[in-house]
Amino acid sequence: MKKTIKWLSVVIALLMVLTVALAACHPDDPTPGPTDSTEPLIELSDYRSYLLSELASLKGRLEGLDSATTAKVTSAYNAGVTAINAGTDTKTVLKAFNDAKAAIAQSIPLANGIYDYTKLTTEQKTDILGLLEGYGVNTGITGMTLYENGGLVMYNPRITLGTENYIPGYGFGVLAEGSITSDLETEDNAAWKRYYHTYNSQDPGTANYWDANDSEIASFYSYIGAGFYTNFMNETKDGYDWVPELAIDETMTPADEGGNGVTSKSWTFRVRKDVKYSTLGKHTEFNDRQIQMEDYLTPFKALLNGANGLFRGEEMANSTGAGTIAGAKAYFEATKSGSTGINETADFSKVGLKIEEKDGDWWFTVTYTEACTAFYARYYISSGMYMPLPKEFLDTVTVENYLGFNSNKTETPVDNSLSLGAYTLERWDSGEQVVYKKNPNYVYASTKYSIPGIHINILEAAKTDEEAGFKEFLAGKIDSSGIPQTKLTEYASDPRTKHTTGDTTLKLNFNALDQDTWNELFGENGTVTQTPAADTWQCEPALSNSHFRNALSYAIDRNTFAAIRGAVSSVSYLSSAYMSDPENNIAYNLTDAHEKAIAGLLDGTDSGGYSLELARDYFRMALDELEASGAYTRGTKENPTVIELEIAWWNTSMETTYHQYIKQYWEDAFNHDSVSGGCYKLNVKFWCSPTGDPNDAYDRIQSGQFDIGFGAIEGNTLDPLSFMQVMSSDPIISTGFTLNWGADTSDPDSELLVYNGLRWSFDALYTVTQTPSQVVNGKLTGESFVGVGDGSFELDGDNVTAVLTVEKQAEVKLEDVDFYLFGYKTADNDDGYEYVEFSVKEFIQGQPVANADGTEVTYTLSIPVTQFAVFDFAPYLKNVGIDLYASFSIEGKLDTTYLSYVDGWNAGLAFGSVSYTTEETTEDVVATFKALGFPEGTLTAANAQLVGYTKEGDGDPTEFTAEATVTVSGPDEKGVYTITVKIAKADYSKLFGGTIDDDDYSGAQGFTVDITIATGWTITFSAAHAFVSAPAAE
Amino acid sequence: MWKYILKRIGLALITAFIILSLTFILIKMLPPQRMLTGKLGTRTAFYENEVRLGYLYSSAEKLTDDYVDKLTYEDGHTTYYYKTPVLQQYFSWIRNIVTRWDWGSSEVIMPNVDATVIIGERLWTSMKINIFSVIFSVPIGIALGIWAALKKGKMTDTIISTVVMVLISLPGFVLITFLMLLLCYNNAVLPTQWPNPTDPTGKKVLGYILPVFCLSLGSICGYCRFVRAELCEVMESEYLLLARTKGLTRRQAITRHALRNAMVPIFPSILSEFIGILGGSMILEQLYGIPGIGQLFVRSMNSQDYNVLFVDMAIFTTLGLLAGVLLDMSYGIIDPRIRMGAR
Repeated sequence: MKKTIKWLSVVIALLMVLTVALAACHPDDPTPGPTDSTEPLIELSDYRSYLLSELASLKGRLEGLDSATTAKVTSAYNAGVTAINAGTDTKTVLKAFNDAKAAIAQSIPLANGIYDYTKLTTEQKTDILGLLEGYGVNTGITGMTLYENGGLVMYNPRITLGTENYIPGYGFGVLAEGSITSDLETEDNAAWKRYYHTYNSQDPGTANYWDANDSEIASFYSYIGAGFYTNFMNETKDGYDWVPELAIDETMTPADEGGNGVTSKSWTFRVRKDVKYSTLGKHTEFNDRQIQMEDYLTPFKALLNGANGLFRGEEMANSTGAGTIAGAKAYFEATKSGSTGINETADFSKVGLKIEEKDGDWWFTVTYTEACTAFYARYYISSGMYMPLPKEFLDTVTVENYLGFNSNKTETPVDNSLSLGAYTLERWDSGEQVVYKKNPNYVYASTKYSIPGIHINILEAAKTDEEAGFKEFLAGKIDSSGIPQTKLTEYASDPRTKHTTGDTTLKLNFNALDQDTWNELFGENGTVTQTPAADTWQCEPALSNSHFRNALSYAIDRNTFAAIRGAVSSVSYLSSAYMSDPENNIAYNLTDAHEKAIAGLLDGTDSGGYSLELARDYFRMALDELEASGAYTRGTKENPTVIELEIAWWNTSMETTYHQYIKQYWEDAFNHDSVSGGCYKLNVKFWCSPTGDPNDAYDRIQSGQFDIGFGAIEGNTLDPLSFMQVMSSDPIISTGFTLNWGADTSDPDSELLVYNGLRWSFDALYTVTQTPSQVVNGKLTGESFVGVGDGSFELDGDNVTAVLTVEKQAEVKLEDVDFYLFGYKTADNDDGYEYVEFSVKEFIQGQPVANADGTEVTYTLSIPVTQFAVFDFAPYLKNVGIDLYASFSIEGKLDTTYLSYVDGWNAGLAFGSVSYTTEETTEDVVATFKALGFPEGTLTAANAQLVGYTKEGDGDPTEFTAEATVTVSGPDEKGVYTITVKIAKADYSKLFGGTIDDDDYSGAQGFTVDITIATGWTITFSAAHAFVSAPAAE
Repeated sequence: MWKYILKRIGLALITAFIILSLTFILIKMLPPQRMLTGKLGTRTAFYENEVRLGYLYSSAEKLTDDYVDKLTYEDGHTTYYYKTPVLQQYFSWIRNIVTRWDWGSSEVIMPNVDATVIIGERLWTSMKINIFSVIFSVPIGIALGIWAALKKGKMTDTIISTVVMVLISLPGFVLITFLMLLLCYNNAVLPTQWPNPTDPTGKKVLGYILPVFCLSLGSICGYCRFVRAELCEVMESEYLLLARTKGLTRRQAITRHALRNAMVPIFPSILSEFIGILGGSMILEQLYGIPGIGQLFVRSMNSQDYNVLFVDMAIFTTLGLLAGVLLDMSYGIIDPRIRMGAR
């Protein structure tokens, strides 16, 4: 026995030695780490090769250069190649590379002038889209895409799909083109056995799309809604066509007078007279009711009636840019205090929606604020939300109850809905089921939608159990379901399984800012947000290195990562659903422009952007560069330099489902001894909001409190170019949705971006594709073509004479000039206030006077004071002003509308000017001003403006704050300074030159207030023509 | 006695008021919803809707740094959105309830419908399941408890006690998940989800089996243990020994004396058990798709449909407190020796 144990011990010991020896000779360790702390982590020759390849790639991307520029670029490139090859260490090679990039950039002229790329061809816009995406990839502001949300879906074999191949943006055509070949055995209701059975995780409680703020309600409405146009699968079953639904013709006709026939603000089209409404609810008098002409305007009148407070109406009214309906905002604001439902008294004629009868046909005309092509004109107006509706029906059920339950639930959405769409609501059992029946009155009832009904089971369990729907599918209760992650292996190759592509990309976003830039943007006095010093985010320097970000990207095995989720691997910024040419069904991700943009992410990888070799090489390159710049000092194997990256996720469950994977990919790739010999250690940390609210993660990202943050990108799939705004570092352009921080997109030097032989900043090139803009040295000027200069106002008897100077570019020709007086009035119910505006065009006196070079035009208006009487609400009286509306053209090519308000007058009304009394300059005065922060010198000019007020609750302001801009000139310090003066409520009397009722400011004719800030110094605020009151009624 | 009962009811209502007030204030102190992404028009619509609901107010001026969000428009003007002070919301809520008995309408779950109507509709569904559960669990639980007590120390008692101990540790939602898989999805014996109103009566009846069973099981075990313990104690008491020595048979002694005395603490517990399972059915309702107030509570909480949430909470709170009052009263009814309100 003892002998056996002895032998066994020997064998075990030998095995252990063997194991250790084998581990030491692991084949996955081809290159030992550096032993010398000064030795670069990557071989210099390899480093040169990578940079030369990048430089060649950069040069290859330059298109549209003239011969002279091409020669300069080639020369700069060749010089760069020579310098890089001559470099002796990381620092000199990197410098040679950066110098070469800069020299190439300098060889290319910057864009200068007024540009309008809004009317480029689809191909040209696709090229620009590719360039912008490429810029984003190179600078890291696209973030790092992980996958897109397509996946695997199973269908019951009784369903015959419209097509076996998924069509992005359309689907399989289950309802419109598909059919059902046998009964659903588990359905007990005989009439519903051939209905299409599906599920939803919750009952939205209404189908009222008008007031919906999510897509769920819209999907319940979509079955009964009908639009002017819709989509059906094309004949070859590989795409879809736009077809008229309530419209008669496939195409729309431009209706702008003197337009170019391609783009237009106004579009007209014939609409159907022969359709009938359907309902299975209690209002049977509307069933089979023939459509009336005015029904076409009813939904718009209801939506844009501000008093109805409908979500989609508010959205329409406040939408900007392409697709905005002219006059919608004004109508919405004007009706806010009116009656609910359809406002009979409000003037709808100024809204860009008309219907009229011509030659026996009904013609519908829509006018947008911006010109667009026929395709987009059709797209913008095609929503089923605009389905016609009889006003009488709306009066009967009320806007409040339309498509929903009434307050005591005696009426259901079945009762409160009418349908012109493919289906009609049949049953709505709260929290249990919603059922639709085929609408025999539907326009395409005989040729499409052969499935006789839809049954939606409310499956609450699906909220917490991601397999609930799938279990119902396997039990034969529903006709389709996505395959949950845990079942992918089992069902991926099942004959019932179909592949879909996604509409959303899920990605990691970077904070690639250096600390100084972070402080500028997010510090205590940040331009984006202001962060207390104690909460200053310590930026990780590595993330600002492009090679480091590339390394992170190459290290993720996306194909595996996506397959685990049944999703689609992707490195693209946009999902497959985005169409660069929607009219011809060309997906942007299939274009050459896109392929060029992401070439750098895919070259040399496994087709999914994964290459461990590249990842490690780029990581080494990055560390060498960061060491060379002094950002990091190399550690030792025993005490490595730690690079810590925190990823902000949405909720705790993502730690296991996402974070652990990413952490493992990165740490396994970069912490291997072969990378840096253990001198560097990457530590990936998890963060999520305690509330699990994704907005909290976005909040951190948008306030710069992150290293890396998870996010999802989706938008208007038919207009991917406009979506690129979110990449801008300018919050105005990105509408506050900047998720990746790093490059200054307003700077043409931040990264080479060349289009049409010219060098641009990202913001400039993007913006000129959306609106005509002025670009100076590659940058947006931020100046308007038309602005309002000085305005003077004078009370002259019963009139206010306004002299307004409109400043413009010399090339700009003004047309259709109109002025609108705006301000605030007390709401009709004496509760709060409302905004009003109205045209005062009729009060323009004579002809406008232009200056010699045509850059200024002066208008004089004489407006009766009675026009001001409506503005009776304090404290918003200060916001009384004049808006300028005008069409204008530039070099005869452009035609758009511009809106501005008279800045000068706004200030003039509240605090017109400020003057100083400098009776004596004494040491005390100087000391006082110095104490206030002013340098020694002479105060030469100033203007004052009301900048804010403090108030409590709904009451009047308790304190006004005014600011005066003071220009100081002097021997020592010069500059423009701002002084702030606060005027307490107790001093109101000074403002208005006498005691007035606290609640009535309308009688004030003007005011002057002196505020002494130091001995001998008095600042006088005055406003001679503020708050013009109406003459007393006789 | 009536004075005592009225006092207890009054105190219960005051307690309910305090609980609801605190709940309202605490819930309203949660961070407001925000829409940081999306188009300007959509974001405007979202925030203006919040303003209409009274959760936020807007200002053209920056009043403090503590704004929920700010929107900047093309013409350069900015609108700031601030959270409406919680107490302002609270007093408005109280005023509407006191003056008009208006608990508000649903905002998310069933927009525009009175919150009380939604609750009223769903309350009956939850009540039915719970009543059935009590009907089943009380006799079975008591019977098993008696059986175990009578067979104390024998194999029967050991088996019952062991099974009860195991099952009492098993939460209802775990059990229903397992049984759904076993009886609904794998073997199609029972409906996979709560039947719809249009389903045949037979299916509707079958639909009760799983939730009632899962809700009952815990109660059965609870009653069983409770009854066994009480009965065992009584059976060891001297007065029962006296009853036997006076010549009563074992059956007579148990039915006439032991059971009656053992039932004194058991009957009141039925009431509290009823409230307990009402609350415990929240997750179960969600899993089995039962449109009851438990499921509604979870959804209203998650979707921040506060008016519905507060009515739901008021129901749970009031039922719980009134059950407490009834519980106290029932002691006096069951055991005449206990006098209510006596000094």
